[in-house]
Amino acid sequence: MSPDIVVERDQSGQPHRGKVFAAIHAHLDDVPYYAGGLCAKLIAEGYTGCLIRTSNDEKCGRGTIAQNILSNQEEHFKMAAALGFKETFDFYYRNHRMNGISSTEIRGRLILLFRLLKVDTVISFNPWGHGEENPDHWVTGRAVEEACWMSGMANDFPEHLEAGLRPHPVCERYYFYARSGQPYNRVVDAGAHIEKKIDAIVECRSQGGGDLGSKLRAELARQRRRLPLLGDSDRTADRAYVRQFLLDDDREYGQPHGLAFAERFFYLDHRPPARSKVDAYIGKYAVPA
Amino acid sequence: MERRTFLGSPAAALGAAPHATGGPPGELPPKFIPTAYALPRSGYSPFTTPDYYTYANDLVIERPRRGQPHQGKVLAAIQPHSDDVPLYCGGTVAKLIDEGYTGYLIRVSNDEAAGRTLGHGVVQNEIDNHAVAKPLGCKKAFSFYYRNHRMDDDAEIEIRARLIFLYRLLQVDTILTLDPYNHYEENPDHLVVSRAAEAACWMAGGDKDYPEHFRAGLKRINVREKYYHARSPQGHNLVNRIVDIGAYIDHKVRANVANVGKGPAGNAGARLRRELAKQGKKLPLLGDSDDTANFAYVKHFLMEDFRLLGEQFGLGYAEAFRYIGPEPDYSANLRRYIDEHAAPL
Repeated sequence: MSPDIVVERDQSGQPHRGKVFAAIHAHLDDVPYYAGGLCAKLIAEGYTGCLIRTSNDEKCGRGTIAQNILSNQEEHFKMAAALGFKETFDFYYRNHRMNGISSTEIRGRLILLFRLLKVDTVISFNPWGHGEENPDHWVTGRAVEEACWMSGMANDFPEHLEAGLRPHPVCERYYFYARSGQPYNRVVDAGAHIEKKIDAIVECRSQGGGDLGSKLRAELARQRRRLPLLGDSDRTADRAYVRQFLLDDDREYGQPHGLAFAERFFYLDHRPPARSKVDAYIGKYAVPA
Repeated sequence: MERRTFLGSPAAALGAAPHATGGPPGELPPKFIPTAYALPRSGYSPFTTPDYYTYANDLVIERPRRGQPHQGKVLAAIQPHSDDVPLYCGGTVAKLIDEGYTGYLIRVSNDEAAGRTLGHGVVQNEIDNHAVAKPLGCKKAFSFYYRNHRMDDDAEIEIRARLIFLYRLLQVDTILTLDPYNHYEENPDHLVVSRAAEAACWMAGGDKDYPEHFRAGLKRINVREKYYHARSPQGHNLVNRIVDIGAYIDHKVRANVANVGKGPAGNAGARLRRELAKQGKKLPLLGDSDDTANFAYVKHFLMEDFRLLGEQFGLGYAEAFRYIGPEPDYSANLRRYIDEHAAPL
């Protein structure tokens, strides 16, 4: 843990109105678990949120590979709606095989979207995070990081400018705390947004455990038992299960800071200062000619 | 185009082989029917027509058309290097634009391998690509700047994606580029570009490839016509269209003269004129200025093989292509059959 942890709490009003963030994940359940609270919080504070999924999630689900692609696609839209995303994009690279794709091609697609959507802030994998064993994660993280600054350069993909797009650098980044031991310097208070996070997770049924509550309820019913915690419907069961059993990390991350639920991030702020060092120097030392 | 060792001295090149070769039958016994035909060649330059063509039985001679029959249509001439389009299909590009097409020139490499230094080569060829577009009548020139001679190390899918973007943005109907099936192609840039250009043609028309383009306001486009040209000196592609470029040979010449950083044209005439002057000689053909010398050099020496090709078909000058045209309306054909043959129940 870094010594200079910043606790990002809820802000009143709409301080981020006019700004756009893109949450870029590889799989259906990445954003909901690692940053569902942050996404809901930023949208509540005025950001427009866009969601980009890079893989096709073919390996996860209870169907065939083809059926998994469809079920994850459908759940991705539902999950995005639960968190309040305005737009959702899917790239459909093959799941678990993304270290075999062209890094320049995926980067080019992200640059197009960053320029098109005028993205100010990204939320994604830490491309330098240790312990990352899923190639889809680090490939996505690398491409996002590179696209952030290249999207501000007019000489990268100049044909985009012909289509009316403008160079647009992405200046703020929130990198997931996806694996134990990865660095973080920001703890985001997710307490006020935990219901939306739960709403998002329960849509992740092909992967992510969103339907474990209803499954447990059905299993207990077959045994002629029930858990009062799970309520009277599949919906209440799924939500209760997530809240009770799947949010331990969020509780643990909040506890040292007196928060009920929190998410961890490595935050980078590359916004230029309102007044440059040169301007400040001129203001201080310039004399009449 | 591959420069190889041609450009040492214009005079040396002219002295090398100033006579037409190829064309006459060899020692093939009469029981065999040739499957490829050698082209008559002047021997003035390797970068003109290939050594062999195979002709399709439904070959079409595309002649100049009056008016503006292609008004509203868009073509993209796609070249790995700044001299490919001018040398191999510049006459046809100029013809189609004169007949109403809006034309765009897309160069894919940075041409760094041709120049005094690598940096000088990149700069000069960038200038040339824009200069070449003008005499051909192209509205705009694009460059992708992939490293010259190293494109087999680039991600073909990324080049294809950029071409799909441009096809959709410009609403391209027709492309002219190297034939992806040219035999004996020794330049990797040619292979990569032609494959990417071909695959991008049909993918640009789908709604599942790069759907984010539509969010940016771009529209699907089916690239329905393709003119594939050969490479030289050794080539061999299938030819089903001969284009009469007689009326556009001067456009083609000017495009090649504009190409000073690469290829056999550019300032070669002026250099020859100066070289001869040092020897106390002159070629009347080259006229009295560098401009006349450059133009005459290209027209007389570098276009000669295109004249010889045209002669085979009763034309002044010609370029040869594997042409792929719009697909038939299959469903209309089916409907027509059904309408003609359907009987009452």
